[in-house]
Amino acid sequence: MTEDSASIDRRLKRASKLLFYKRHRQPGVKGWELRRALGGDYARIIELLNQRLDGLGLQVKIVNDSDSVVVQKEVDLDKARFYVTLKGAVSTSDMVMSGWRVDDTAALAVALALIISRGGRLARGEVELLLKEKFSGWRVESNLNRFIRQGYLVQDEQGVLFVGWRSRAEIDQNLLIKLILGEPFDQVGKPTSTPHDSPI
Amino acid sequence: MSRRNTEERERLLRIIGLCASVENRGSSPFEVEVREILETLRKYLPNWRALDDFVLDSETLSQIAGIVRLQSDWVKRRSTSLFIDPLLIEVKLRVINSQRLLDIFQKSWHPAVEMEMLSDMKLEQAIDYWNQLASRDERLLSLPEPQGGLGSLTHEELAKRNILSETSFRGVLESLWSELKDVFQKEGKVEYWDFIRQKSYENTVKRAYLVSFLITYGYATIRINPLEEEVFLIPNSEIVEPTFGKQALTIPISVDRNAWKEKANER
Repeated sequence: MTEDSASIDRRLKRASKLLFYKRHRQPGVKGWELRRALGGDYARIIELLNQRLDGLGLQVKIVNDSDSVVVQKEVDLDKARFYVTLKGAVSTSDMVMSGWRVDDTAALAVALALIISRGGRLARGEVELLLKEKFSGWRVESNLNRFIRQGYLVQDEQGVLFVGWRSRAEIDQNLLIKLILGEPFDQVGKPTSTPHDSPI
Repeated sequence: MSRRNTEERERLLRIIGLCASVENRGSSPFEVEVREILETLRKYLPNWRALDDFVLDSETLSQIAGIVRLQSDWVKRRSTSLFIDPLLIEVKLRVINSQRLLDIFQKSWHPAVEMEMLSDMKLEQAIDYWNQLASRDERLLSLPEPQGGLGSLTHEELAKRNILSETSFRGVLESLWSELKDVFQKEGKVEYWDFIRQKSYENTVKRAYLVSFLITYGYATIRINPLEEEVFLIPNSEIVEPTFGKQALTIPISVDRNAWKEKANER
């Protein structure tokens, strides 16, 4: 093993440790943290790690940490947050095993789609109004609070809901909207990515 | 303050409200007529004299700046290929069933991997802490011995230190009892809320607290008319000692701030 490949190997191990293990309240690592731990060419190491994870059905996801709803042309890697996420779709049994009920999932999908369609922000009351057409009031209330707690949604002091960090990391928003609009699954089967949340 | 100035201020407050509502509801920022509002601000500016008016003017301007930013974002978003009409999404969401939504969500959801870890460094720190930690017996031994001997304090000294009140609790109860007897003699009946209600909420609660002791200690009895939801206090001429073995009855009466306000308004 050459010195260079030994160094890459060491940095790959370091990168996977940083990305897999939660070090702060929320998972993932900021680009500047990776720069400090892996060196200036950390983007190359992450790309290599991404290739290795591919075989395991995982991927490195880079999410712009800003709350801006405007899609940005370029992601500032140093300020972005890097996560490891599942690459493929989740099976129904996996969802059930992880404690997601069908109505909770539907509520999250509706809330997110509604917020995304309104440019990333919407009064909680309006989301509740639509959800209460099909779910009981207390369930809507508890679901929205849970989504906020988990980071799927964010609520400001005026009661406006935004797309949360977890949704930006875990949910392919473009695909979600396309599927809701009725595009067949096979035509949108491949996960899409926007410049907002594209991997390297 | 002229009538015209008041109207102008109200107009600015309405503009601020409109901008806030557009921002919070996420509705189209083009609902706000920015040009017209700026003209209005320009027209009103020479009339302002007080500092508050200038603050209101700058707040309106700041809200308008926010709307212009939203309009800019809105145009950028609409010009991207990602833009979808919100109404169309809403219509689709109303007709779609839960199972289909579950399938859609599964397709677009890629959960993040997060693992909890105890690092080597933390483990090392924890072992160091354990090694340095004295046993519980040692720690108890090291507690300082109480200083000075035991003594006694008089009632006056305790009152001076605000530990005891100068008037005894019994004394307070008895004075309240005689007040209740007086009112009962004059009016023939004493409604609970009429008796406890005071000008401040705090004093009302304090009086309700004392009345509860009047009843418990046998200075008075309580009578409830469940149909009219009325509660009356009847003073006993003599203290009736509680009878042991007889089932005591607890009557909860909520004395919250809203009830106090309502009763004050009824008066």
